[in-house]
Amino acid sequence: MKRVVSLAVLVTIVLGMSLLLALSGQSFYPSENLRWLAIVYLNTTYNPYLPDFTVRSPESVTAIVWDYRGLDTLYETTVFYLAIIAGLALGRGVKRLNQKPTDESGLSPIVKTVTKITGPMILAVAASIGLHGHLTPGGGFQGGATAAVVPVVFIVVFSSFYLLWKGVSSQRMLTLRSAGLIGIGLTSISLFLAGLLLGLPSYVFQNIAKAGSPLSMPYDVHGALLSGTLWWFNLFEFLAVSSGFTLAFIILMTPEAEEKW
Amino acid sequence: MRAARAIPVALLAFVTYIVFSGSTSGYDLVTGLLVSVVVGALFANVTIERPSKLLSPKRWYWALRYALRYFIVDETKCHIDVAKRILSPRMPVNPGIVVVPFDVESDYAMTAIANSITNTPGTVVVEVDKKNKVFYVHWIDVASIEPREAKKGISETFEYYSKKVFD
Repeated sequence: MKRVVSLAVLVTIVLGMSLLLALSGQSFYPSENLRWLAIVYLNTTYNPYLPDFTVRSPESVTAIVWDYRGLDTLYETTVFYLAIIAGLALGRGVKRLNQKPTDESGLSPIVKTVTKITGPMILAVAASIGLHGHLTPGGGFQGGATAAVVPVVFIVVFSSFYLLWKGVSSQRMLTLRSAGLIGIGLTSISLFLAGLLLGLPSYVFQNIAKAGSPLSMPYDVHGALLSGTLWWFNLFEFLAVSSGFTLAFIILMTPEAEEKW
Repeated sequence: MRAARAIPVALLAFVTYIVFSGSTSGYDLVTGLLVSVVVGALFANVTIERPSKLLSPKRWYWALRYALRYFIVDETKCHIDVAKRILSPRMPVNPGIVVVPFDVESDYAMTAIANSITNTPGTVVVEVDKKNKVFYVHWIDVASIEPREAKKGISETFEYYSKKVFD
């Protein structure tokens, strides 16, 4: 019986490996024949020789998200903002419990101690994802979502009251979120306003100079690439998304007090 | 002092930021500095209670010694032991949960011991009782259920070093 089992295990491993080998040759490779649209994006995303067309960001996804189709992303951000507002509206008039977290609440003191160290590390990684959005894959939304892991982990590990007790209230998060959104709005019209003041033609959501409009956001500071508006959009989106998610988690995870007002 | 507690956290955040970004260009150093100041300020009252401990070279020396000893000697021993048990056809295991006392003050020292126990194969801390100062440890081969004997077999060296580093 034992021999049959070991034989079966052996045969399964061999068959599995050969299946893997047979299939791995047919795995998906991106074609070298790109569609013309892809070629346009790849040729213009960072191309100093085409100063009227380029975004000056080597990360074409962020360039598409915040420059080529920036208006679309602005409305996506607005939709997310409205979703948070709707969540707030659902929980309106609910008084949240706010008590001192005790040693007993949450998980074990071992997990708490480890979380005290990993918390700042998660936030640093999140900030790096957000602030490198115009250079490497990532960006404000991804970084902000990563940063929002911190409040969730702290709520689970310490106590549902922990954030409120430390002063991370839904009002403050709403303020931060609104500041982020205002920043995004201001960034999108910054060159348009500059154009009005200087008497030069410029567009809403303009980033780098276009034909007939010589204005550009500063895309380069002492050799460090900022890619114009992309850096600012990522920064404000990071603020808006991280505080928005935190707000949602506070609403979802803090128990309500008995009395109502 | 909030600022003094913020500095070690900011340092941790800065190192994490640079390592994760994988670059030391001017842009990374400047943004890393700004980010670590913010993170340090946010976590100053959370992560560290007595930052002066970080300035003690003796603690760093013992931390290094502990790390080297733990990863080279203790880990290897336990891996060989568990590998033997897995490969042996008789499967010589005698699993059970034992009480292991610990005698350290700070949370960091306790966490270091608990994580050292869990990270070595064969033993896992399943519960901790801070009031009575005991771990409940699942042991692959229970040699003794007497707490002091169990401690000798599981965590005595870890405690010796952790105490010198964190307490």
